[in-house]
Amino acid sequence: MPPTNPNTTIQLIPASRFSFEQLTAIYNQTRVDYMVPMPMNAARLAEYVNTYDVDLDRSVVAATQDGDMLGVNMLGLREDRAWITRLGVIPNTRRGGVGQALMESLMEQSSRLSIKFAMLEVIKNNTPAHQLFLKLGFYEVGELLILRRSPFTQHVDPIVADAERMDRTDSLVLVGRDRGTQPWTNQSESLFNAFEVSGLRLTLADGSRGWMVYQRQKFLLSRFAFKTEVGDPATVAYALLSHLHYQYPRLDTQVENIQINDPHLPAFYKMGYVESFRRIEMWHGTPPASLGMK
Amino acid sequence: MTKILLVEDIPDNVALVRKALSGRGYEIIHAPDAETGLQLALTHIPDLILLDLGLPDYDGQTLAGWMRAESVLDATPIVAVTAWPEETAKAMVESYGFDGYICKPILKVNEFIAQIESFLKTP
Repeated sequence: MPPTNPNTTIQLIPASRFSFEQLTAIYNQTRVDYMVPMPMNAARLAEYVNTYDVDLDRSVVAATQDGDMLGVNMLGLREDRAWITRLGVIPNTRRGGVGQALMESLMEQSSRLSIKFAMLEVIKNNTPAHQLFLKLGFYEVGELLILRRSPFTQHVDPIVADAERMDRTDSLVLVGRDRGTQPWTNQSESLFNAFEVSGLRLTLADGSRGWMVYQRQKFLLSRFAFKTEVGDPATVAYALLSHLHYQYPRLDTQVENIQINDPHLPAFYKMGYVESFRRIEMWHGTPPASLGMK
Repeated sequence: MTKILLVEDIPDNVALVRKALSGRGYEIIHAPDAETGLQLALTHIPDLILLDLGLPDYDGQTLAGWMRAESVLDATPIVAVTAWPEETAKAMVESYGFDGYICKPILKVNEFIAQIESFLKTP
């Protein structure tokens, strides 16, 4: 199929008119040639929509007038903030303005709601998407890391500490406190919406203390939130991770979108985490006060 | 017949592997996602597992972890098939217990077949 001319052939349809199975099929087609394709199934996409407050009425699917699918773009909404995610254009229809049309549609949706701030992440080295976002007025804020730790990583004994496991309720109370500015995926709302959330809190012998909250699925630990209340963040995080991995030695672990300047980061490397890939975080507009409290 | 389990969600890639290996004495068993992949691996105990790292339910690293925890698969080489940069692919292979990796896209069929044969011969 030749490049698509958006002025003549694109129609933008609310994503809510499609089933999760249909949206998944479109989304997966847009990613088949990605270095990090991250395909989804319908259940995962439904969970994604719920966890990240994606508004499917204001998200869009692009199609030709004949009904051939071209791409998809999704909009998350929280208070006075918007998030653009899952943007993808089916490979053989790229370079025809579909991506820009999808982006402009969501920016317009945000404007109609008087939302003046939007954020997104783009995989590092995805130059066409990065260039498009710059062209549309997004600016770079920093780099985000996606880290993994396999269940075969060397066993680590828990650091001696006064440690306490927390249930979902107690964990979410802590998450709701000020954690500084976070990428959308790691904001408090994401954890409030997620299933199987629990936490750990500990105090070290020297009085250092902190907590972590995480999601534990059948085979995977993920969605980490950290806070060091007293002491060196890397030391406190290492102690927390040592207890976590001692408790769940057979679980795979994925940490998504940890900021490259996060002071807890050295603890991850010391604990055997490896870098999968990086994203660039980009913002559009002036960050509202609500962002700093998430 | 030598059994190869291919865990891959993209139909074109499945077709490519099937075509490349057809007529060479391999039985290709296909799973489109991680859950099915584990189930078929435990049912068939294949001679080789080719594992795409990007799967729709759990990714290939997590699946390799489940498989490596199953003693009945101890003798089965698990090979990652990935488009990741070589450095990342190596790090993932080492930490997740893979026996090696094959880079995507698969462009040279003869090279691909040689890699498959090499993994099957590795004790």
